[in-house]
Amino acid sequence: MTKKIRIIGFGVLAAVWLGLILGAWFGPTRELSESERRKLAQMPAFSAEDILSGKFMTHFEDFSLDQFPLRDSFRRLKALVHYRLLRQGDNNGIYVADGYAAKLEYPLNESSVTGALKKFDHIYETYLQGTDAHIYVSVVPDKGMYLAQQNGYPAMDYRQLFEKVKSGMDWAQFVDISDLLTGSDYYRTDTHWRQERLPGVARRLCTAMGADFFDEAFLTEETVARPFYGVYYGQAALPMEPETIRYLTNDEIEACTVYNYENGKTTSVYDMEKLESRDLYDIYLSGAAALLRITNPNGDADRELVVFRDSFGSSLIPLLLKDYGTVTVVDTRYIAADLLGQFLQFDNQDVLFLYSTLILNSSNVLK
Amino acid sequence: MLFSSIPFLYYFLPAVLLVYFLVPCRLRNAVLLLSSLIFYGWGEPKYVVLMVATIAAFYLCGLAIDRAKSQRVKKVWLTVAVVVGIVLLTVFKYADFFLQSFAAVTGLSLPLLKLALPIGISFYTFQCLSYAVDVYRGNAAAQKDPIAFGAYVALFPQLIAGPIVRYVDIARELENRTLTLDDAMAGVRRFLVGLGKKVLLANQLGLLTEVFRDSSEKSILFHWMYAVAFMLHIYFDFSGYSDMAIGLGRVFGFHFIENFNYPYLSKSITEFWRRWHMSLGSWFRDYVYIPMGGNRVSRGRWVFNILVVWMLTGLWHGASWNFVLWGLLFALMLLLEKWIPALQKLPELLRRGYVLLIVMLSFVLFNAADLHQAAGDVAGLFGGYPLLNRESVYYLRSYAVVFIVSIVGATPLVKTVASRIPKKAAAVLEPMVLIALLLTCTAYLVDGSFNPFLYFRF
Repeated sequence: MTKKIRIIGFGVLAAVWLGLILGAWFGPTRELSESERRKLAQMPAFSAEDILSGKFMTHFEDFSLDQFPLRDSFRRLKALVHYRLLRQGDNNGIYVADGYAAKLEYPLNESSVTGALKKFDHIYETYLQGTDAHIYVSVVPDKGMYLAQQNGYPAMDYRQLFEKVKSGMDWAQFVDISDLLTGSDYYRTDTHWRQERLPGVARRLCTAMGADFFDEAFLTEETVARPFYGVYYGQAALPMEPETIRYLTNDEIEACTVYNYENGKTTSVYDMEKLESRDLYDIYLSGAAALLRITNPNGDADRELVVFRDSFGSSLIPLLLKDYGTVTVVDTRYIAADLLGQFLQFDNQDVLFLYSTLILNSSNVLK
Repeated sequence: MLFSSIPFLYYFLPAVLLVYFLVPCRLRNAVLLLSSLIFYGWGEPKYVVLMVATIAAFYLCGLAIDRAKSQRVKKVWLTVAVVVGIVLLTVFKYADFFLQSFAAVTGLSLPLLKLALPIGISFYTFQCLSYAVDVYRGNAAAQKDPIAFGAYVALFPQLIAGPIVRYVDIARELENRTLTLDDAMAGVRRFLVGLGKKVLLANQLGLLTEVFRDSSEKSILFHWMYAVAFMLHIYFDFSGYSDMAIGLGRVFGFHFIENFNYPYLSKSITEFWRRWHMSLGSWFRDYVYIPMGGNRVSRGRWVFNILVVWMLTGLWHGASWNFVLWGLLFALMLLLEKWIPALQKLPELLRRGYVLLIVMLSFVLFNAADLHQAAGDVAGLFGGYPLLNRESVYYLRSYAVVFIVSIVGATPLVKTVASRIPKKAAAVLEPMVLIALLLTCTAYLVDGSFNPFLYFRF
């Protein structure tokens, strides 16, 4: 009887294994992973050259992982075992504290910050030195600043980073916004901050730049119906509730137009075409773009702001528009600083360098 | 290809099993040889030629030794076989090490060969050498069938990480083996336990050692965590691989020798080496130490024999001075244990502690990139850094369960508890645990987790 039970048990084991084998061999292939927001590897082409060089094997291994049946469920199982059973603090560098998923951003990479400062120096020396431009710099803390240390996770020395930026960019006025934020000002499942929590940040920056700002009372909060799954949702692979994207608007913001130098398209500040995109955060200034020009018909036509920024700027910049006739938005992750002269002439604009600690700590992405 | 990989578990292995059990018995060795060459070629396409050449060379040497009429001719062919083995290892594994060492001593600038190390060369060359010696000694008849001999040398379950299976141990099974349902179930169980050891424990511990290596804010605590983690990592990695190899062998009808027997329970270094990588220890004993005279020689010669054997054991693990020192450290400890019998009279706890400390320090040396790093890693255990910092406390907390499970897993406790479960309950529980293991390991592999291959230097 015992042997029979054992044989049945092993039969079930064999059936589970066989089911997965059949799924791996004959299951449908997928182009994209929604949760991981990336293209999935496809079956590599078979050629003698690729086999001899080992390239086929490497690509096949990628394919076998990406196209494995129930991939998302297995990733979730791994995350649950990792966090709940083995009680590990992070899974692939992502941790969850107070219901917020965040990346272990540790330690402070001083050479990376120095590298970023060199690139900013280059922009200053090439375009800004000797002009009447008023230059400001502000650092956007990642949410680790408010979550990591408090929950026992190692955190970079944010104060040291701020001091390094402040002293390394002594040609710009440093505007500290870190005291205005808390962990809850960020999405639970994403890297970014929530725009509806940023009027205070916008006010401080505008005040520093001597510009008028939108009073919170004159901003309307709109909600995007589609649920938002941030980038950490896929990376953490844990069961987390989706979130809601909200944006602040009014007639003045609605009247603004955004011109994209790369594709020649003109859109509105909140791009509703992006409601169908993989990343709903792209509704702010249409997501990643090298160079944008925002025209504000209600702003001061003689006043211009140039923002050097990363993706955190996309949701904040709409709140800085009130006083400016033109706001030029530059993302030096996608355009080399040396090319800017072809599109921009620096004179007496306000210039804001607005970069997150995430980019400063991994500045090799800057061109 | 790693056993602990999706391509192996869900593509290669099922395809081989399907073909293996579909073909007539007489073709099964051919299936094993062909699939083993594909398995080997998956990681090293160009070295399949080297593998085939090695098989051919030792097959012919074996036949020549067997057919030689006089002892002198037998010895000539054995010498040829040994030279072939040594040349293979020297050219592909040790040439650059010797050249670099020579250049360092003489100050000459010598060009290096810079050949990629063929995976598993130390394992399969040692198997071939033992075959030639066993045929020469008359312990085994030469294998007449080149396919069967090729299947023995290239047999994928034990090709890249052992155990070092001697020809005599599986000669009969190469020609005639049967598979029972009990064998298959035992093989599957052993394989999955090994997979779990590798994926769920060894890989996690290995990740911690990588974090330590990359950390710029080390502490004394972190050095200790690193040392303990690596010690457990190498055990679970190596013994997990051996379990998988033994399990797979069983599924194909082979019974390989055991390779690990809870080595961290040892009460002396001598005992440790009777429990750790047993197939290597016994190989050196039977094919190097005893032919050199073993301990039936003068005291000076015996010390020399010990030093040579352990220097070679160190070199077997990698072509670098820290491996030589690693081997010599064990030689020194073995000699001390022989010379100071009082060591064996110490309280059991002290003896176990001393073995764990020496083994831990030896593995710190083993895992260092060079002697300078080794010295730094050992020194860091005793000072020069803050006692602890936020990073080390975080990782201690984060890995606490993994450490506890690993430490318990390195003892026979689980086996003892499992053996006390009533048979009927065990019959139900065992497959459930194995299914959970399969799914969890698959989940870790699908997530593309850290999955290092430790044996690239062997």
